[in-house]
Amino acid sequence: MTTTHAALARRPGFATRFKWTLQDIATMTWRDLIRTWRQPEMLTFAVIMGVFFLLLFYYVFGGAIGAGTGVDYIQYLVPGIFVITTLTGAQQTGTGLATDLSQGVTDRFRSLPMSQMAVLGGRTIADALRNTISVVLVAIVGYMLGFRFVSIGAAIGAIVLSVGIGFSFSWMNAAIAAKVKSAEMVGMLSMFWLFPLMLASTVFTPAEQMPGWLQGFAKWQPISVVADAARKLSDGIPAGEAVLWSIVWILALLVVFVPIAAAVYRRG
Amino acid sequence: MTDRSSRDGVVGSASVAVSARNLGKSYGDTVAVRDLSFDARAGEVMGLLGPNGAGKTTTIKMLTTLLPIDSGSATIVGIDVAAQPDAVRRVIGLAGQFAAVDEKLTAQENLEMFGRLYKIPKTERTQRVDHLIDRFDMGEFADRIAETYSGGQRRRLDVVASLIASPPVLFLDEPTTGLDPRSRTELWDEIADLATQGTAVVLTTQYLDEADRLSDRIIIIDEGVVKASGTSAELKTSLERDVLEVHVVSAEDLDRAVEVAEQVASGVSSDSEDRLLQIPLTDGSSQSLAVLRQFDASDIPIDDFQLRRPTLDDVFLTLTATGGNR
Ligand SMILES: Nc1ncnc2c1ncn2[C@@H]1O[C@H](COP(=O)(O)OP(=O)(O)O)[C@@H](O)[C@H]1O
Ligand SMILES: [Mg+2]
Repeated sequence: MTTTHAALARRPGFATRFKWTLQDIATMTWRDLIRTWRQPEMLTFAVIMGVFFLLLFYYVFGGAIGAGTGVDYIQYLVPGIFVITTLTGAQQTGTGLATDLSQGVTDRFRSLPMSQMAVLGGRTIADALRNTISVVLVAIVGYMLGFRFVSIGAAIGAIVLSVGIGFSFSWMNAAIAAKVKSAEMVGMLSMFWLFPLMLASTVFTPAEQMPGWLQGFAKWQPISVVADAARKLSDGIPAGEAVLWSIVWILALLVVFVPIAAAVYRRG
Repeated sequence: MTDRSSRDGVVGSASVAVSARNLGKSYGDTVAVRDLSFDARAGEVMGLLGPNGAGKTTTIKMLTTLLPIDSGSATIVGIDVAAQPDAVRRVIGLAGQFAAVDEKLTAQENLEMFGRLYKIPKTERTQRVDHLIDRFDMGEFADRIAETYSGGQRRRLDVVASLIASPPVLFLDEPTTGLDPRSRTELWDEIADLATQGTAVVLTTQYLDEADRLSDRIIIIDEGVVKASGTSAELKTSLERDVLEVHVVSAEDLDRAVEVAEQVASGVSSDSEDRLLQIPLTDGSSQSLAVLRQFDASDIPIDDFQLRRPTLDDVFLTLTATGGNR
């Protein structure tokens, strides 16, 4: 017995630990997908959220806002709605995780020989998969309203970037959830980032229609940048620079929030 | 069994599975655990007995890496808890005070998930899950999601989940709290079984009978401090006292009644407001007859009397009374 215990006390090599971490993330993703699937009301609500935004803005504000853009409004709106969709999906990472963390099973995870990061990783990945479905649904409804991708490649690019930025914001919300540990609190705090990012953006209307002091923020904040790239990709306009800036935003947010979320979670 | 124990539950032995030395933990100004030391060996159930707030959960959390240790040290199968928390997690199973399973997964899925997180290879894992479901009689509900379970079923799953990797050391924090008597007895049998097969079990409880029934050795803690320790047999002789409660008719008789009772028993306490005497007896039935006869002979009229088993309160009163404080 003593020898096996001594073996256990040795820290395994980097390759083994890396493999174990990936396995843990896969296990936790599997778990979070089952959980998502077994909360059908939540799932339905989350998935149709994007379509709801699309219809709301298209029919209620479409005429007024679209008039000034000088382009086909549905073609302008849909790529932005992709991003709004994944952003609201990211908020649910926070509320869901806060609930999860307040339950006993999290204590067990902490006592297991697993990568603690996987608790957050599984959740953010499962939410990214759910976001993909939501975005595809927006694309389908958009198609029925006259929206077109220039190519399959364009469609994939636009969707991947939208889900990507949602993934980054999921980590930001994971950090918030790990800190405040209450779904209500996470929901309340989201007022302070979700609405500014959503409304002070070029998703619904071009920056030129906003007051001068807001234009800089509206143009360069991550939601606008990714929406712009998704729009250019969909339309078949050269999108290289826009895609590059989108990737920069996605990675920058991950570089900041993954370690913060992990550290806050580990501290308990 | 008796020769195994020594002061403060600390033993010197090669097969020590859990060794806690002068553990201390504070939450701000609240000292939850103070200078707590004990050992638990393979194949032994070590019971931490104490009332609510005694520091049991805090102790378990420190030993299972869930809380940093403020002072002192601990090793699990020789691995230092503070220095190698990851390695410790590989050799322990924990069932915390509150059921820690995923409510949205079935028992089978929960066990599968924990098995994967322990990195048990697939074939072995499947066999192990099936075996545990079978052995702990969970087949009937193993395919339903946990939020539909009764308290007993959930608790059973919780304990079984801590066994998935066959850990050499098992921590159970109040495992039977909230269970009906039958589930409680069943769980006791399972825990005793595990110890027989060589697992070291550290168990906390508020119930004297549970500690008595299950533990090879017991540590009584209160307010984060060890009050007594020993084998259940050892503690029993000091603790197993029935208490005769007598209500006298008139408060004026009370002092005289205490004097009379102390001819038979020691440690008699009285409460003038309730006109109540509490008389600890080592041999309940015959001594209580003697006491009541004495009252009769001394012309002390009584309202009623009752012979009762000691509560944890009596135990603490007895323990602290001999220590001279409180
Ligand atoms: N997170 C906490 N913050 C502050 N005080 C705590 C916390 N957890 C426990 N305590 C206090 O520490 C003491 C011991 O608690 P605990 O270990 O839970 O006791 P037990 O498990 O024996 O009931 C109690 O006085 C309790 O109020
Ligand atoms: Mg407790």
